[in-house]
Amino acid sequence: MKLSQVLNRQHIGFMFKKHWLVQGKRVPIDTGVEEVLRAKGIPVEDALEFVKEKPEPRERINIVGQYEQPLPLDQNHPDYKERPCYTLKNTNVLLEGIAQAQVITKTILAEDKLPQKIEELAEVVAPKTVHDGVKKAILSANVFDTEQKKLPKIKDPERPAYNFPRILGITDRRRNQILTNKILQLVERSSDTEATLSKYVVNDVECKTVFDKEDDLIQFQDVSNILVTSNKPLTHDTEKDIPFVEIPDLYPIKHTITMPPEHFYTETSKYPIRPTVSMRHPHTTWLHFNSTEVNNIYETPVTLPQILGRSLTHAFTVATSYAKQLYGENVKDLPEPVYINCIQTDGQNYHFGVLELNTLNLDGKEGATNVWYCKNNLKLYDSSRYFSGMPVLENYNPKVYGYINAFYNC
Amino acid sequence: MHLYKMHRKITNLKKILIRRYSQAALLDQNEYTETPEYPPILDMSLKARKLREREKLHEKIKNVNTVEEKQIALNMPRYYGWKCVMLHEDKVPYNAMPMIQCYTRSHFIPIEKLPPTYTESALTAEIVVKEIKNLVEDAICIEHEGVDHSFAVTLEKPVESQKSDALANVLVKQINRIITNNLADKVPHILSAQVDYDPRHEAFWFVGGVDVPSNVIKWRKQYPWLKDRLDEPVDRPVQYLGAPFLAMRSHFPLKPILEYSEAENPEFKVPKFTYKPDTVGYFHAYRHGTNIPGYWPGDHDEFGLLSYHGRGHILNRNVSFGTEDNLEALHCQAMLASFGWLLAQANYQGFTTYNDLTYPLVTQTIITDGQLWSFYAYQLNTILMHNEKIDENPKHNICFGTKPLKLYEKVENGKVYGFNEDVLKLLVQLYLNTPEEREYDLKPYLGREEQVIADIEDDNKRCWLEKRYKHLVSNRPKHLLLPEIYLWEKIYKIEHKTRFFEPNRRPFELGINPFKRRLNEHLPPYIPKALRPYPKHKKKFETTYYPDV
Repeated sequence: MKLSQVLNRQHIGFMFKKHWLVQGKRVPIDTGVEEVLRAKGIPVEDALEFVKEKPEPRERINIVGQYEQPLPLDQNHPDYKERPCYTLKNTNVLLEGIAQAQVITKTILAEDKLPQKIEELAEVVAPKTVHDGVKKAILSANVFDTEQKKLPKIKDPERPAYNFPRILGITDRRRNQILTNKILQLVERSSDTEATLSKYVVNDVECKTVFDKEDDLIQFQDVSNILVTSNKPLTHDTEKDIPFVEIPDLYPIKHTITMPPEHFYTETSKYPIRPTVSMRHPHTTWLHFNSTEVNNIYETPVTLPQILGRSLTHAFTVATSYAKQLYGENVKDLPEPVYINCIQTDGQNYHFGVLELNTLNLDGKEGATNVWYCKNNLKLYDSSRYFSGMPVLENYNPKVYGYINAFYNC
Repeated sequence: MHLYKMHRKITNLKKILIRRYSQAALLDQNEYTETPEYPPILDMSLKARKLREREKLHEKIKNVNTVEEKQIALNMPRYYGWKCVMLHEDKVPYNAMPMIQCYTRSHFIPIEKLPPTYTESALTAEIVVKEIKNLVEDAICIEHEGVDHSFAVTLEKPVESQKSDALANVLVKQINRIITNNLADKVPHILSAQVDYDPRHEAFWFVGGVDVPSNVIKWRKQYPWLKDRLDEPVDRPVQYLGAPFLAMRSHFPLKPILEYSEAENPEFKVPKFTYKPDTVGYFHAYRHGTNIPGYWPGDHDEFGLLSYHGRGHILNRNVSFGTEDNLEALHCQAMLASFGWLLAQANYQGFTTYNDLTYPLVTQTIITDGQLWSFYAYQLNTILMHNEKIDENPKHNICFGTKPLKLYEKVENGKVYGFNEDVLKLLVQLYLNTPEEREYDLKPYLGREEQVIADIEDDNKRCWLEKRYKHLVSNRPKHLLLPEIYLWEKIYKIEHKTRFFEPNRRPFELGINPFKRRLNEHLPPYIPKALRPYPKHKKKFETTYYPDV
């Protein structure tokens, strides 16, 4: 209801307000009482002399709310530290992507190369019912799910001020959740009992790792959307004589660029599963790329190398937090390498990677390095949506399921 | 110019004067029959005529071809949506059981063990329980003490209940994972079944026989012909909104628990509840009725197997309500959740609140906080409870339910104490309940060729209906605000006619109820001249494809 419309009409509340305004500015009228009293010899005193004293200020009541209020972020905060910590969260990406991730984590790359065992397992043909299940999962995530939430604004670069009607539909977060969980369920149900009995699956757990690199304190905070753990550490037979991509030189850029410095942090790493649990060894970690949530801090669109870099930093976070839980916070060269599988997806594209964590001594380029085997940009399907009112799934690629299955069973 | 006009007038005149078609009077010798055939004698009273009108509408909805069009048809009478009684899954007021039972027409049978159809699977369940017992115990320990979960807390609900629900959610996922992984090789329906996390369950129906609101009595009083029908009960639109943690569905429906003929057994009668829902503590909202069982029409797996719900809301209830009412609240939640989900599924099979089911549907509901587990089996026999049928309909739905059973006593130092295998066995038995193909037509009221709008051949119609249906069920806010009588108008124009000299322009001055506007009473999108088909086309507005009801 527009106020101006109603003000024009008869409105008793408005009338009263105006009346108070007028009446509030009354000028006292000289009634002549003072003179009469003085003539009779009665002393007249100024009323203002009696109301001179100001009322005492009352103590503020500390209102205890229903919820605990967070402490103010200032120097008295228990987590406040003088030394800044360069922070990378799962909603941020590195400016130089995979190259910068290589420098920070001191990792060499084996591109388009996965351990032999995985490649062999990926060749195994899955039965038709399983592939039908995957197709159902894709359709369910993209078409048949009934979430109706606001999707990002549509922009036309030709006419950027034009407002399109806002579309309601399945958000990327929900789509990825449904798709990855359903595929994993299928993998588990069609795997051997031994494989499933030795594994445990948790959703949305946080990992954190803090480490020093060339006098800078760096922390990675990441959320593993699905973390598959197993009862014994994962191992791979890796080849050493493949053409590795060496650690690049980022000059003139420093490796901490686009990682905002933070003063509120704790200096301990955190692996979400406690050491008392027998099935705590990380096996495969799934990372979702939700395009509405992951951004550059400079508002430019996220590029492919940045997405690939995200895979590496994520696997590194989970692996180091686990290694630090295992060998202590200050471990440098690991007695035995820690392996971890990583699958990153935006629903359509899948990036597979295996990290071999050898060292946490990340200064310089010399000495032992970590190794990242990866196979990127595998498309699960070309498009899946409502196309002119009909559910559509185009060009399903069965190879991707093979790799997911291989990652689970290796 | 004049000539042209003249010419047109003459042709118009011709049309009237010249008879182009003629038919010889038919001399049918068989016009006469031995016994006279009279047309049926219809009751021409106002009440009977209105009833026939409504029956015609129900018949029309029955004849609509596709699922989505039927849903639009249900919403056709109200542009601004129905004034629905809102039944939320996690808000059960005090003493709600009689109302919920009447509104879902469910007879509740408290049980200790599962109904007789489950006895076959008891042996298999025992074997499975032996295999998975340790795994479930481990999972309970790990989720309680082994994993750091970070729950996002919102300010809308008390923290206690949110924590309880969050823990139950992760536990349910783990236990479901363990059981399905184990059963995938043993029973075939588990591998192909789909598991939904946090699906959207909504259901909409009409309940008749409710006491008349005072404004309706006031409205009836102004017409002399309604004078002796002031207290005639009215229909209430009801909307259920639910959010299970996890739901499992498959391509075939579950076997009925009882024979379909048992539905008419007078023992299962449900007492009538005629008081207004406000008296119990339920509220109203304007919204379009939606029937959503967690997926859009056209999905392959259409029938529910089981669903898990939280019981965190019990913690928010007043302590003075007592344990007995808390137990009833759980029963209410289960009946609502089961009825709501099954009704939405029935709607996808082509039945609506006006066209009754022709076969029973079954679902299984579990309410849990991780430690306490209540199991329910529900058979949906009828969905017909609008004003004309609430008293006539002999069928009732049946709900079997257990009390909350403890799965374990406590978790301490990585060990589960007092683990109850019988509870796990009940749970496994629900999973072992195998869906079966039925011998009869499951979708008698849907078209042969067209069952969902994706089957429609006409591109324009298909796209239009798809867009309209999704827009309708999203219940997104309207672009313009709802019509409203301002307070000053109520005082100065309605209750005291102090502004009689002003022209009558507002709807209440013209005797119009803006909420009676039909869904299709709006201007369709305008086609700009440049976009109209060549050469000359007079069609200014785009076609709409609302179902003709």
